[in-house]
Amino acid sequence: MTGTTRDGRPILLRLDAVVDGPLVPWGEVTARASGRLTVGGLADDVPVTGTIEIAPLTRRRIRYRLSSGDHRLDGWKSIDPRRPVRSMTTLPVTISSASGQIAAEGVLRFDLRRDLLPFLGGLRPGGDAGPDPLASRWRGRPGRLEVWYSTLSDPVSGAGVWIHHELVAPADGSPAYTHGWAAVFPADGPPVLGRFGPDPLRPGAHPFSAGEVTMGPATLTGRAGDLGWRLTRSGGGDVLYTFPAWAWRREILPAAQIVTAPAARFTGTVSYGGRRLDLDGAPGATARIYGHGNARTWGWLHADLGGGDVLEIVAAVSTRPGLNRLRPLPLLRLRVDGRDWPAGDPLLNAARFTARLGLPHWSVRGRVGDRRISVTVTLPPGQTLAVDYADPDGAPAVCHNSERASATVVVETRAGGRWRREREWRLDGTAHAEIGSRDAGAVRRSPP
Amino acid sequence: MTPAPPGPASGRGPDRHRDSCPCHGVGPVPFPTRSAIGAAVGAVLGVEDPAEAERVAARLRALLTRLPWAARAGFHAGIGVLEATSWLVGGGPLAGLGPQRCDAVVRAVAARAEPVAFALKTMMIMARSADRWVPEPGETSRDPWLDCVPVTEWPRRSTADAVVVGSGAGGAVVALELARRGLRTVVVEEGRRFTTADFRGRPPVERFTELYRDGGATVALGRRPVLLPTACGVGGTTLVNSGTCYRTPEAVQDDWRRRWGLPWDLDPLLDEVERILRVAPQPLGVLGRNGELALLGAARLGWRAAPLRRNAPGCRGRGECVAGCPSGAKYGVHLSVLPGACAAGARIVTGARAERILVERGRAAGVVLSPSGAASALGGLPGTARTVWGLSGTDRTEILAPVVVVCAGALQTPLLLRRSGLGDHPHLGRNLRIHPAVSVAGVFDEPVTAWRGVLQSVGIEELHGEGVLIEATGGPPGLSSFVPPGVGRELRSVDGDRLAVLGAMVADGPRGRVYGRRRALLRYDLGPAEAIRLRRAIAAMAEVLFAAGAREVLTGLPGRPRAHSADLLAAVPLDGLHLAGFHPTGTARMGAPEAACPVDPGGRLRGVRGVWVADASVLPTCPTVNPQLTVMAMALAIARRLSGRA
Repeated sequence: MTGTTRDGRPILLRLDAVVDGPLVPWGEVTARASGRLTVGGLADDVPVTGTIEIAPLTRRRIRYRLSSGDHRLDGWKSIDPRRPVRSMTTLPVTISSASGQIAAEGVLRFDLRRDLLPFLGGLRPGGDAGPDPLASRWRGRPGRLEVWYSTLSDPVSGAGVWIHHELVAPADGSPAYTHGWAAVFPADGPPVLGRFGPDPLRPGAHPFSAGEVTMGPATLTGRAGDLGWRLTRSGGGDVLYTFPAWAWRREILPAAQIVTAPAARFTGTVSYGGRRLDLDGAPGATARIYGHGNARTWGWLHADLGGGDVLEIVAAVSTRPGLNRLRPLPLLRLRVDGRDWPAGDPLLNAARFTARLGLPHWSVRGRVGDRRISVTVTLPPGQTLAVDYADPDGAPAVCHNSERASATVVVETRAGGRWRREREWRLDGTAHAEIGSRDAGAVRRSPP
Repeated sequence: MTPAPPGPASGRGPDRHRDSCPCHGVGPVPFPTRSAIGAAVGAVLGVEDPAEAERVAARLRALLTRLPWAARAGFHAGIGVLEATSWLVGGGPLAGLGPQRCDAVVRAVAARAEPVAFALKTMMIMARSADRWVPEPGETSRDPWLDCVPVTEWPRRSTADAVVVGSGAGGAVVALELARRGLRTVVVEEGRRFTTADFRGRPPVERFTELYRDGGATVALGRRPVLLPTACGVGGTTLVNSGTCYRTPEAVQDDWRRRWGLPWDLDPLLDEVERILRVAPQPLGVLGRNGELALLGAARLGWRAAPLRRNAPGCRGRGECVAGCPSGAKYGVHLSVLPGACAAGARIVTGARAERILVERGRAAGVVLSPSGAASALGGLPGTARTVWGLSGTDRTEILAPVVVVCAGALQTPLLLRRSGLGDHPHLGRNLRIHPAVSVAGVFDEPVTAWRGVLQSVGIEELHGEGVLIEATGGPPGLSSFVPPGVGRELRSVDGDRLAVLGAMVADGPRGRVYGRRRALLRYDLGPAEAIRLRRAIAAMAEVLFAAGAREVLTGLPGRPRAHSADLLAAVPLDGLHLAGFHPTGTARMGAPEAACPVDPGGRLRGVRGVWVADASVLPTCPTVNPQLTVMAMALAIARRLSGRA
């Protein structure tokens, strides 16, 4: 939004908002907002955070309360039913200093042609995944699959680690069980896989605890064959909703994935085949899947881009009749500087991307707004594991996974009638990727 | 209309008439003026000097520009009636008639359409009053600091802990109390700030139309119209009242406690308010001859009378209270209470009309303001009032606050509550009491010059038990509540210098009602009890004046305009008597009976949380005295209840 102060100085306010509840006109919702504010002679593109109280009918008001270190911005749109457009697009604001002294007063205007799309883009469903995004969601219903998995890269040795915990509730009503595996992808040799389970889920304080394996809010311990691990996890950032938050919360889709700790750091030890990895702040992530089972075909990429920036892609073909004939639907989230792109609903944005799944190469491309992205992933054949397992419906599935994958990520912006390269990342052996399928023949063998 | 310059007539109008009319062949020279208003002034006031008539006409035109359209239309209609009568009686326009014919015309109008003649006469006397005005000598005193911000400069979005609508007697006290309790308090005032400097150097009549809502032409309709002037400015009606400070009578307090369930003991609060206002008996030195005659008359009758207690510690007796004190001596709330409130952090938004109170989920959330007519006069907002009202909601100023205290006065509070969707209580706007007032004048052989000395100087309380309070009330020429009888030469024959004026206010019942949402439409009808008291008051005032030595009393009663004794006056019909009311109260009555009182005994508006009323509209009955102290004490009590101190 742009505007002017009473004395003619320009104001520029750019905001992204995260709505924690359903955004309905007759309700009252408070959105968390963050963005940047410029006021001529007062603030130059300073970051601001705060809230937007959205109550267009009950209070006839949409109130913005933002603050930076030195200033507070308070203003609201007063919704006038006789002039709905004007009153919804005019925001008088008062900017005061931290001591409460009024520093500027002005009016911001929302240009429908210029600002509407970016605004809708910046309005994201909230990150409220419940009290604990790691907590088990299984409530005794058959035909469910729940997964907790963590992947990491050891920057010292170059090895990758994959720890996968599953809870399977078979569709035939037989007792649910847990199982899983761990794998190490050393830089200088073939990957090592160890399985654990099946064991019954042990109820308790931990989200996953079965047999010798435990996964707590900040700890991962266990043994799987020749492998053992004792890790603590720290940091991670906000939950990254690869699938829409509503789909995760309401369990509407056949399955959904979220990354609970997209930029975590792991410390501890992983032992395998008589060797040991001593990790100290190794970058990685922990993610969750919950649903009816695996997709018909899927591709997955987690790329830690450094500095808290991550790229997460899940491209999948549904098993549902009809949908299984469609091309893979890529759900892509790129988090840079704490902002997730593309904004808006990931499922709606999926139509803007195309995925070409294959082995050892697969790719995702697409454009949203004035940005486009191109991602190319390579799973090195010598450092890729093929892991087979059974879905809740009993169907076999195979995934080809590598925690030493390579990826190239290129982001371009449209400016001046041409595309300009904005950012580029190249990950050589630190990307975590997977291609899987229930049908071995469905995965295209791409040329090496 | 541009006034024609006075001087020898030329052209075809009057000269042609003078030449052709047999009445002008010999005898008095007709008015050589061509201005219809000038001719009307000459005829109604009996002014034979055409230059003076035109001078008054010019002032009158200036006065008219500041009056509401209805008053202007009424005035021009009155001029039309005069002109029509002139053609019927004199055979030509008023400007072409000689003095005798003019006199005959205005007398004919007065006989058949007395209200028309009265209205014209009143406005013309007001306009002429500036001729006799002498500026206040000496230096201008410096008013205390007030944190006033015109609404055009106030942020369109702001927050406060409490918003007080109105800065008069009630609002000022509430603001002081809340600000002292540490609440961020914003006072919203429709008018502008007037300083003592604004009151000096200009005749009272010019200030009068600025200070009063509708130029002072607020009228309650009914069987007989009642003038109800209310001020509009920072300080409210305390800007223009006479400064008379009566404590709430004990009998009234008892009645409020017993019948209306009010929990207050007002006496300690009255003590506190008196200290703030520096209330003291008026020293005899500046009473003026008018007050002295009142004391003399009362003493000869053996009646209780004394100089009034006033909040004017340094009063010099200019007698211009009704148009703002040019000496800065009258300690209105803009000088006594609001400075303390501002020092404690309260801020005053001027030129701001409270459009409505924001209510959300049954509780107050703030107020919506729009620039009033005063805001455009303050500058910063180009355009006329029409464009001001045309502003959309997003351009209006909003202040969010969980507490809104309505102190807009008995005539405006019901309107604001209705505009806010809070006017559902069946008694809101009803029960209007105005404390109706009437004036009489005694004609003395000696010069009295009633406008020299304190405007309201002496109180005669002998009949207070009967609901009649007599006060010696002078006032500057043209702004006195007493209008001399007659028109034309009869009016001119009244020597204003030799008139002593007494006024009386009578306790009244709930006889009136305030209608409307944007503009107040008032209705008031005297009841039989009030009529009896009025007659008793007129007779009593005549007794005092005769006892003081008046040779004649001008009663204001069309049926007996002049009396030479007080006998039988109490039996004269009141038909045609011109009334005024200066103390409107009771339109949002406070009390325990839920069905009869929109406001509960604590001052909260029933049916909503966070809205309080603390002005004259909460008084359950007529306080029977000048209500300034009562309103302030009541507001103090309510503010303390609000802020948790009581």
